[in-house]
Amino acid sequence: MARSRLATAALLLPALALVLVGFAYPYLTMLVAPAADPHPDVVGKLLAAVTDPYVVDIVARTVRVAGLATVLSVAFGFPVAWLISRAPGRWRGVLLLAVTFPLLLSTVVRSFAWIVLLGRDGLVSEALLAVGLTDTPTQLLYTEFAMVVGLTQLFLPLLVLTAYSSLAGVDPTLEDAARGMGAGGAAVFARVVLPLALPGTAVGAILVFAGCMTAYTTPSLLGGTRNRTLATLLYQEANTSLDWSAVSALAIIMTLLVLVVTTVMSRISAIGSRA
Amino acid sequence: MIRRRPVLSLLTLVTLVFLLFPILVVVGVALSRGDVLRFPPDGVSLRWFGEALSYRPFTDSLGTSAVVAVSATVIALAVGVPATYALHRRSPRGRRFLLTVFLSPLIVPELVLGFALFQLFLVRAGFDALTALIIGHSVLLLPYAVRVTGASLERADPALEAAAAGLGAGPLRTFFGVTLPVIAPGVLSATILSLLTSFNNVPMSLLLTSRTVQTLPVAMLEYVQTSFTPMIAAVSTLLLLLTVAVAVLAERLVGFQQVFGRSAP
Repeated sequence: MARSRLATAALLLPALALVLVGFAYPYLTMLVAPAADPHPDVVGKLLAAVTDPYVVDIVARTVRVAGLATVLSVAFGFPVAWLISRAPGRWRGVLLLAVTFPLLLSTVVRSFAWIVLLGRDGLVSEALLAVGLTDTPTQLLYTEFAMVVGLTQLFLPLLVLTAYSSLAGVDPTLEDAARGMGAGGAAVFARVVLPLALPGTAVGAILVFAGCMTAYTTPSLLGGTRNRTLATLLYQEANTSLDWSAVSALAIIMTLLVLVVTTVMSRISAIGSRA
Repeated sequence: MIRRRPVLSLLTLVTLVFLLFPILVVVGVALSRGDVLRFPPDGVSLRWFGEALSYRPFTDSLGTSAVVAVSATVIALAVGVPATYALHRRSPRGRRFLLTVFLSPLIVPELVLGFALFQLFLVRAGFDALTALIIGHSVLLLPYAVRVTGASLERADPALEAAAAGLGAGPLRTFFGVTLPVIAPGVLSATILSLLTSFNNVPMSLLLTSRTVQTLPVAMLEYVQTSFTPMIAAVSTLLLLLTVAVAVLAERLVGFQQVFGRSAP
């Protein structure tokens, strides 16, 4: 018995050691007192950061952009996931592949595409000129709009996948039953499909929101230096300033935001699904 | 289906164009002859592919990325598979807590973890960037290893292992002779997913660089921020081809959805 317990411990220990050395210890010490800082003062820097209008502005932008991208991902992703889940077998595989494939591609590649599309001479600007909506070329790059577009393209597949897996669990005969009793397409969707698939979709939306808030590549390429987010600010500070405690303060803000959002929102969606 | 649900079908079409058209744009730009980023491109040539393949920062960082991806995948699986096996077959005390611990690196922002490793390993302890990168990526991949192999252990029948043990096989022989072949598709899925995740990672690798060590996505990111030439599109197109190859391989070996269908963090 003792030998078997020893063997179990031996199987678990390497993984525990990896988490401890590569995650728990560096992360926790960084939050409290970064080892690289000879005179750590994270609390002081944190108080300075949360009262600094520049930082508050950046936090607000981060949340605003992430929120918009999440809303767009749900608005487009959920109906698409529904269509895929009700499509005939061969179509379903092709559509899932088309939606999942972009996820495998580097975020640098996907964000770069929008630099080409949204620039002053880009396709979107030219289309606006051609349609007559604008008289002069429009620079859409380095705006919050560009960040929202880029993040939506990045995270929409994630929402489709999570919504799809919960929709695939909804029995299609329920919809047939509702239709048989006289419900129209919109009513079936709102009264039958939506409530049943909501919990899974909410989990997907939380993942998207957290992903958007912590994304680095897209805001740095499409937002430019004028539209900093928490992630790009943190990188800039870590790379250029030697004030490690100040960077730790930003790290605390970012970690707390993500943890609060994910736990609070999953609680709410759990309560919502029970009601 | 299209006739029955015209609005929904249109919405799906718009979404697919939104998701896939930008990728097409990248390929188009990569084929440009000129020096500017334009789509449709002005003339067709392969010149930017040649330039990309002889650009030292890209070729050097490709090597670094490959070393990091392979090392981190091997480490994550080497420590993750035994731990997952112990969690599922030996039901240790505090099983739920241990599982949470193994999955915990997924909860926090990668960029922040990257900074934590940067200030401790590079600034304070003076490690070289490659070591820090490999440790960081291993931690990042551990949750995938634990979850994907865990899912296939859950589907596998423990009675098979009990039978092997009953017939006199020792624990090691049972694991390598029975358990491992049964969960092999899961381990393979975890391997493919891990290699790709590490290879594409930006936030964790961003700060873990030195003058000679940098991963490819970070080198690309740095390049895009300073120069606007179609060269980056050429590299992107090569990566696209590599990704297609990985997807096809995954489909052949274990099934595309098996590997990537649950790739959500």
